[in-house]
Amino acid sequence: MVRFFGSISDRIRERFGRRRGLLDYSLLFIVLFLLAFGLVMLYSASSYEASVDHGDSAYYLKRQLVFTIFGLVLMTWVSTVPYTMWKKLSVLAYFVSIGLILLVIPFGMEVNGAKRWIRIPGLPMQLQPAEVAKIGVIIFSAMLIERLGRKNLRTLRGFIFTMIPGTLVAIMLWRITDNLSSAIIVVAIVYGMCFVAAPDYLKYFVLGAVVIVLAGVLVIVIVNTSDTNSLGFRGERILAWLDPQAYASGKGYQTIQALYAIGSGGIFGKGLGQSMQKLGFIPEAQNDMIFSIICEELGLFGAISIMLMFVLLLWRFMVIANSADDFYGGMLVVGVITHISVQVILNIAVVTNSIPNTGVTLPFISYGGSSVFFLLSEIGIVLSVARGLREEELRRMES
Amino acid sequence: MRKNRVVDGKNTRGGIKRFTISMQRKLVVLLAIVLLAFIGLGVRLFLVNRDNGQAYSMQVLSQQAYANQIIPFKRGKIIDCNGTVLADSQLVYNVIVDSKAILEKDIYMEPTLDALEKLGVNRSRIREYITNHASSQYYIALKNLSYQDRKDYLEEVEKGIAAEKKANVPAAQRVYSNIKGIWFESGYSRIYPHNELACDVLGFSGSGNVGTGGLEEYYNDTLNGTIGRKYGYLDDALNMEETMIEAKDGNNLILTLDANIQSIVQKYLQKHNDEYRSLEHEGLGSNNVGCIVMDVNSGEILAMAGTPFFDLNHPSDLAALWGMPKLDANDEPTDAYLSYKDILLMSEEDKPRYLNALWRNFCISDYYEPGSTAKPFTVAMGLDTGTVSPDDMYFCGGYLMIDGFKIKCHNVDGDGWFTVGQAVEWSCNVCLMQMAEKIGKEFFTKFQNVYNFGLKTGIDLADEARTDQFVSDSTMTDSMLATNSFGQNFDCTMIQLAAGFCSLINGGNYYEPHVVKKITSPSGVTLKTIEPRVLKKTVSESTSELIREYTIQVVEGHNGTGFSARPAGYRIGGKTGTAETLPRDNGEYVVSFIGYAPAEDPQIACYVVVDRPNVDGQDDPTFATEIVRNIFTEVLPYMGIYMSEPVTDAEREELEEWGLEVTYTGDEPSDKWDLGEPYQ
Repeated sequence: MVRFFGSISDRIRERFGRRRGLLDYSLLFIVLFLLAFGLVMLYSASSYEASVDHGDSAYYLKRQLVFTIFGLVLMTWVSTVPYTMWKKLSVLAYFVSIGLILLVIPFGMEVNGAKRWIRIPGLPMQLQPAEVAKIGVIIFSAMLIERLGRKNLRTLRGFIFTMIPGTLVAIMLWRITDNLSSAIIVVAIVYGMCFVAAPDYLKYFVLGAVVIVLAGVLVIVIVNTSDTNSLGFRGERILAWLDPQAYASGKGYQTIQALYAIGSGGIFGKGLGQSMQKLGFIPEAQNDMIFSIICEELGLFGAISIMLMFVLLLWRFMVIANSADDFYGGMLVVGVITHISVQVILNIAVVTNSIPNTGVTLPFISYGGSSVFFLLSEIGIVLSVARGLREEELRRMES
Repeated sequence: MRKNRVVDGKNTRGGIKRFTISMQRKLVVLLAIVLLAFIGLGVRLFLVNRDNGQAYSMQVLSQQAYANQIIPFKRGKIIDCNGTVLADSQLVYNVIVDSKAILEKDIYMEPTLDALEKLGVNRSRIREYITNHASSQYYIALKNLSYQDRKDYLEEVEKGIAAEKKANVPAAQRVYSNIKGIWFESGYSRIYPHNELACDVLGFSGSGNVGTGGLEEYYNDTLNGTIGRKYGYLDDALNMEETMIEAKDGNNLILTLDANIQSIVQKYLQKHNDEYRSLEHEGLGSNNVGCIVMDVNSGEILAMAGTPFFDLNHPSDLAALWGMPKLDANDEPTDAYLSYKDILLMSEEDKPRYLNALWRNFCISDYYEPGSTAKPFTVAMGLDTGTVSPDDMYFCGGYLMIDGFKIKCHNVDGDGWFTVGQAVEWSCNVCLMQMAEKIGKEFFTKFQNVYNFGLKTGIDLADEARTDQFVSDSTMTDSMLATNSFGQNFDCTMIQLAAGFCSLINGGNYYEPHVVKKITSPSGVTLKTIEPRVLKKTVSESTSELIREYTIQVVEGHNGTGFSARPAGYRIGGKTGTAETLPRDNGEYVVSFIGYAPAEDPQIACYVVVDRPNVDGQDDPTFATEIVRNIFTEVLPYMGIYMSEPVTDAEREELEEWGLEVTYTGDEPSDKWDLGEPYQ
């Protein structure tokens, strides 16, 4: 086994091996492809609603384009910064994340009934602290795991201790910004990083199984509750998940409309721009539900192609992690891998009604300034890891 | 750390901790799990397509709202004989409010309410609705917004949005850009430009293009068109294509009715109503005043009206009910009258009953005992059957005893001997009873049938009454025959009597009365012309001539009862009627006068019935004759009929006061009219 994996990584390094000090063009290409594809789909999904609401069919496209360009600039800069700098700034990054979440309380802006954004004074845009928190937790947890050492993760105590800072941020995201899905993603990021760093398997699989069983029990309890009024909107969402048709005019509306879009797409779809569900039936089709529009317009073929594109992206991440110059760099990449894969899985699972409806964006494709901006900075960090450390830094470490 | 480096030395490079093989392995496991999840989701996508693809595709198509949209048709116009539009349909808009869209952001509420208020919606009421029905997306906030108002509004908003965009006003301070959730739905609304004019004849049409009463009901299908539809379908390339079937507008009605004559008639009926209003009791000038003006030689209705009038644009306005008699359980009028308080307190069950009474066309739907206006009919049947000769003389002793009843004349002392003509002139009941006895029951009942009494005339208006309570000659009692001879104990409608009377004086041709002359297409092409139709021959030409002679005497004779109906400068004929209502001897009368002009060559007939005038002594035909006189005075010159008689100085003064011209061109006044006081 060991040899097998080792030989794979060796071979990968031979075949696709990166040359020290250079940009990882494979990764860059995949990211740029996803971004470009995302902008095309975003325009297709949003043009109708944009022209109705804002009188400009390219309204969302323009905004997203601006964020993407800024994001790319940031990514370029981050990729040139030695990632060891983040290790030094990790504690600061962590507290900035917490601080931004707390800022929601006085300066929060409510959109669609949830207070998740902070107004940026003087600019027609908002910041979503959850997106900052994700990258903050990655930077901080990578440092924490390195400091505590892999051995410590073998013990339950060490594991719990490692999980605490990330979980704290998750709880804040949940309670303060009422954003359960981001909280789940943050916990998943730390959990994934611990899993990769720790030498054992059992604990993680058992814990994962326990969480799934608990979730199942919760669903059963909610289904058997006679008084549906006391459930709140999350309880209703679970009922709508189990039977979206019965809640088609309320909580199940978005889900059922997304399913209509997927089902009506067929194998090759209706063609780019030909979605009918985006004409007011799927509200804010450019956001969380954009994958259903992809399915409707490009069909199963297009949807699976996009999923393969994400697989390719994750595989490239893996190559970079494996050949990282040090443990911290590898852990950073693992954090980004968990982040993006969890978000893609949750998003597609919501759109296909595989899990209850919760607001998760599809990375690089869904509309959202904060999301694409900080995702691109994460890519910048990965590119920086791929570029490797400079000789003097390596020497400093050795000494 | 040190230990670590020793044990796991392979994974260190110069003392730097690295990604170990075991970590690489775990990363592969992690990615394998992710890949598994992706595969699971891919399978799920496939299953959704395989199992529900077809159903969901249909669902997507069926929810395309614009896939099936109704295009309203325009209901046809009603136009009088001169081209005056009496009823029209106009393109209007309903203002629809979408609460959900307005409540989406706080900043939408006030600008939207401002805009709605500007459109004429009650601000506080609509605010209440929006907050109480947060999920409502379709609420008709305002009906019948005119095309121009909507256009002005849309232009203002468009300009406002452009200005705000240019000036870069912050979103929260924008006014026009924050107007949300208002849209317009087009439709047609029925408009009656002359409000009360010809209300009973026209009837009205409310929502759903269903006519109520009059022409709107009778010609409902002719006036209505066919709705159009707009629907979408998918072409081969799965593009939504739109197809439209245009709505087919309804046809127009061109009437025989003349809006000018109609307004003259309504003016004088209203004048009567105002003059006698609340004299004897609080209430209208009389329960009803009906008037029919028709063409003697074609049956064309020139005007038809019955009080109280109502506004066709607001037919359910309860204020118009004031002064109407209260109804009993059988919807029959009683001696009590509606006050404003009664209307305010009126129960929901009573409202439709009273409104129906208001909307009733008195001229065709109500029946009553005609009284002495029936006398020419009796005389005519006597002459036509030869049972009565023009030279016969009859003696009036004041009353006759028949079947044990003492049936009286107006003058209970008796007026002595009369010729047939004088009997009509004096309106002598006793003479008429003797004639009826000579005619006999068989002829009498047969002729009542020929005159169409009790049967529908076939006029093209909704709700014509049928009054036949006919008795055959075998069941008719002597007293019934006697009283029927002067118009008591049988019922008829105004249109029955008017149509029959026209036949008596026009040479015996019974024309079917009608209101519509022509039906035209929306573009104005004539689709159907309704020609005058002679239904039957009632009496002979010679009888008709005699009846004309006798009825002229009613107005001109020394003792004529219809003297007061004569318009200055014209020679007319006619007959008064004074009928006691049931129960007898309660002092309530229906008085009437039917006149025609010009006397020598009858062209138009005018029949006025005053149902229980609001005065102490109701049995005076003057209530009716003064209306007929006024109507003739104005209508005859309007119709281009020149005066044939000299005009006295007093009359000349009066005509000048009315702004009417003296068109008499004949000799100087003779002493013909200086006959002293006529017999009253």
